[in-house]
Amino acid sequence: MSTDNTNHQNPEQLEAQAKQIAGLLDDRAQRLSMRTLKQLEDGRARAVKAHQQNAGVSVNTDGTLSQWVAWVDHHRLAFAGIVLAAMIASFVMMQNFQTSETSDAFLLGADLPPEAFVDRGFEPSLNRHTNI
Amino acid sequence: MASSEELSTFLQGVERRAFKQTVYAVRDEHVALDIVQDSMLKLAQKYPDKPAKEYPMLFQRILQNTMRDFWRRQKVRNVWTTLLSSFTGNKDDGDDSWDPLETMDVGDERETPSSQLESSQTMQLIERAIEKLPPRQREAFILRYWEELSVAETAEAMGCSEGSVKTHCSRALHTMAALLEQQGLSSEYLGVKS
Repeated sequence: MSTDNTNHQNPEQLEAQAKQIAGLLDDRAQRLSMRTLKQLEDGRARAVKAHQQNAGVSVNTDGTLSQWVAWVDHHRLAFAGIVLAAMIASFVMMQNFQTSETSDAFLLGADLPPEAFVDRGFEPSLNRHTNI
Repeated sequence: MASSEELSTFLQGVERRAFKQTVYAVRDEHVALDIVQDSMLKLAQKYPDKPAKEYPMLFQRILQNTMRDFWRRQKVRNVWTTLLSSFTGNKDDGDDSWDPLETMDVGDERETPSSQLESSQTMQLIERAIEKLPPRQREAFILRYWEELSVAETAEAMGCSEGSVKTHCSRALHTMAALLEQQGLSSEYLGVKS
């Protein structure tokens, strides 16, 4: 490129000129054809859609749900641990529930009335009588 | 992490400038649109977890890299075209040589009033001068003065040292001033006080 780079302007003037030119370019950039603007809008819509897919379903305007889904994506091992712990906890709870269910059935199906099991003195009394 | 709304707002604010910057670099509107759209998509797909404040720098870096990819592909394509044309002897393959003037009138489809004719011509001269800048100087000039990135941010976006950015910017300013003076556009004409 054969340009004469020796000009009489000082650095401040050159910077001021650059900013002036940048301002003019900015004005120019605002005057695009409708076709171009439409294509840029389409590109933007595609990008936003891809962002939503990558970050999960963004329902909230503040992106709360997106953040949660992204956390899950980036901490898969921790998430798997949490799920496993929840499954174990639910299994233990189910076992307890089934045990209490069995004991209830036992009480209701026994020959003795349920009140007999509530009475704390009944069992020692029964043992005493059977020993005799 | 930025929400989709923040991404949309950011892209809406930057897309026009990005398009014009790319047109200055590749000198083809269709290619420029592809590059900008591709860059938007890359930003959304590769950095969904980044905060919105990091978008300007990230987007510029993606845009510059996508332009470089385009140049690389273009270079390979040109080599093959030259090789093939030398074998076939086909002389009608002159379509790859761009005429920058063909893409100068972007967005100038509307009627310009006579009062705006002068400024429109001035803009064309400025745009032509920007297109004539060497790629790295143009990149530094646009990022520093149009995108208003700091020297450090420009260096990161360009993938070079801060010293190189200062050198590129200084050379770009001198080259631009010389080119504009050659076209009869002095700094006083542009409104810069001496």
